[in-house]
Amino acid sequence: MEGANDNLRKELLAKLYQYGGHSQVVGITGPPGIGKSTLIGNMSSLIIKSGKKVAILAIDASSPYTGGSLLGNRIRMQDQLWENKIYMRSLANRGSKGGLADSALGSVIILDSAGYDYIIIETVGSGQADLDIMNLADTTVLVLAPGLGDQIQAIKAGIMEIADIFVMNKMDREGAYFAMKDIEDTLSLDENKEFRREVIGSTITKSESYLELINAIGRHREFLDRAGQMGKKRLDFALRWVLEDELKEKLIDPIIAKIHSNPKNASLKENIYQEVDFIIDSLDIRGLLKKI
Amino acid sequence: MVDGKNQLLFKDKPIKILLAKPGIDGHDRGILVLAKAFRDAGMEVLYAGLLPTPEEVVDTAVNEDVDVIALSLLNGAHMTVFRKVAQIMESRNIDDISLVGGGTIPDEDKPELEKMKITGNYGPGTPLSVIIDHVTMRAIEARERKLR
Ligand code: B12
Ligand SMILES: Nc1nc2c(ncn2[C@@H]2O[C@H](COP(=O)(O)OP(=O)(O)OP(=O)(O)O)[C@@H](O)[C@H]2O)c(=O)[nH]1
Ligand SMILES: [Mg+2]
Repeated sequence: MEGANDNLRKELLAKLYQYGGHSQVVGITGPPGIGKSTLIGNMSSLIIKSGKKVAILAIDASSPYTGGSLLGNRIRMQDQLWENKIYMRSLANRGSKGGLADSALGSVIILDSAGYDYIIIETVGSGQADLDIMNLADTTVLVLAPGLGDQIQAIKAGIMEIADIFVMNKMDREGAYFAMKDIEDTLSLDENKEFRREVIGSTITKSESYLELINAIGRHREFLDRAGQMGKKRLDFALRWVLEDELKEKLIDPIIAKIHSNPKNASLKENIYQEVDFIIDSLDIRGLLKKI
Repeated sequence: MVDGKNQLLFKDKPIKILLAKPGIDGHDRGILVLAKAFRDAGMEVLYAGLLPTPEEVVDTAVNEDVDVIALSLLNGAHMTVFRKVAQIMESRNIDDISLVGGGTIPDEDKPELEKMKITGNYGPGTPLSVIIDHVTMRAIEARERKLR
């Protein structure tokens, strides 16, 4: 798919897009090694056993030097994947913001049109590409664990913006209840009355804990449905992606070519902002926006 | 080598390879060495771990859309197990994923494996550069068939 002929590919995705809108896209993010893949594997098995369909996309980091990557998320969950015949696809982030967003969006559109109830996306939650991917998700789950130290302070500071659901993983570890209480206290300050954010405790030693997470994800879906927000982020994501793509090709690239072809612009670097402002003004953006 | 015309084949999408030991064989040192070597050569590497069945190997390769499956066995069961993988591929008409083998494979088994389109079949002491070049060549063949 990723390597296929570009126009054909776009056409196909546009067609498939019309058949989508059923899947809840769940982004699972959190620091490296916190237990995301393990949690996804266990949670997905329970989802399958409840008779629902789930597919998984997992993002691994590429080496910025060689471009190579050990796609290590799969190994943590593959026994469950095989046992339950779960579809999973590993995507390397390839260091490029655009490439990943493109293939992740394409994968989500295809899986959505195939009728999956849940599409789960794992990211390490660092870097621009990863943050972009989270904009694809209807529901964002942030996974934490006891013993994160100072990192937790930084996360707490902006916690309301980060996620819809919080997980304190590795509850079998010392200090887990204290760490969970800490996040609960921070969340009690949340002023959003429409959706109550909660912290779920989970551990590999107690599989019911993953059921609680599935239920919390279900409650968030009910909220999204009630508020008419289901799929909205994905639509915005797709619109932004297509717009940026098309504007680059049809507007930005030609403008740059035009600027280069004019010899009097050789000294452009001295007044680049002025020049760009001038171009934008002459485009009459306001008039254009009225027409849409 | 990935260069010139071939480079276009891998534009924005490096070689993706699945490493597997489909059998009762705990000798995983070699395959872990290869995983790192392939990664450092710029490939995207998946490791199916120990003990996957041939079916699981092929399913994973298809779901992940890899270019090459690298099969490694040091336990002497390669003729049975590698053949099984090749048969599943054939019965499902999968021709855009290349099969490469290795481990402790006696020379007399190699022609038979080649007939099943399982190539390479390198053993102990093979320079990593030889293995990487061979895998790259087989990945180019697979990618050409994917784009056909
Ligand atoms: C180390 C070793 C062990 C370690 C394994 C540790 C581990 N986690 O890997 C231990 C002690 C556990 C072990 C146990 C056994 N071993 Co042992 N072991 C070896 C030994 C000495 C070296 C293997 C090794 O790690 N080499 C280093 C790595 C880097 O090289 P490599 O694996 O060969 O991989 C390279 C190449 O072969 C090639 N390659 C490998 N796979 C692939 C795949 C592809 C696609 C490609 C292109 C290339 C490629 O590239 C790699 C990198 O250069 C070999 C003898 C030997 N000289 O090969 C015996 C050997 C493999 N073991 C053997 C046996 C019989 C066993 C045991 C059954 C019991 C025993 N008698 O010792 C158990 C079974 C264990 C199990 N559960 O499967 C036999 C196998 C005989 C056979 N094929 O019929 C061997 C050949 C020894 C012998 N001559 O009898 N073993
Ligand atoms: N004690 C304990 N360990 C766990 C638990 N869940 C996962 N782990 C361990 O944590 C380690 C990392 O697990 P992964 O699932 O790979 O974590 P991850 O967040 O996906 O890691 P990256 O993808 O590398 O960022 C593994 O050794 C797991 O066995 C748990 O509930 N309790
Ligand atoms: Mg992981």
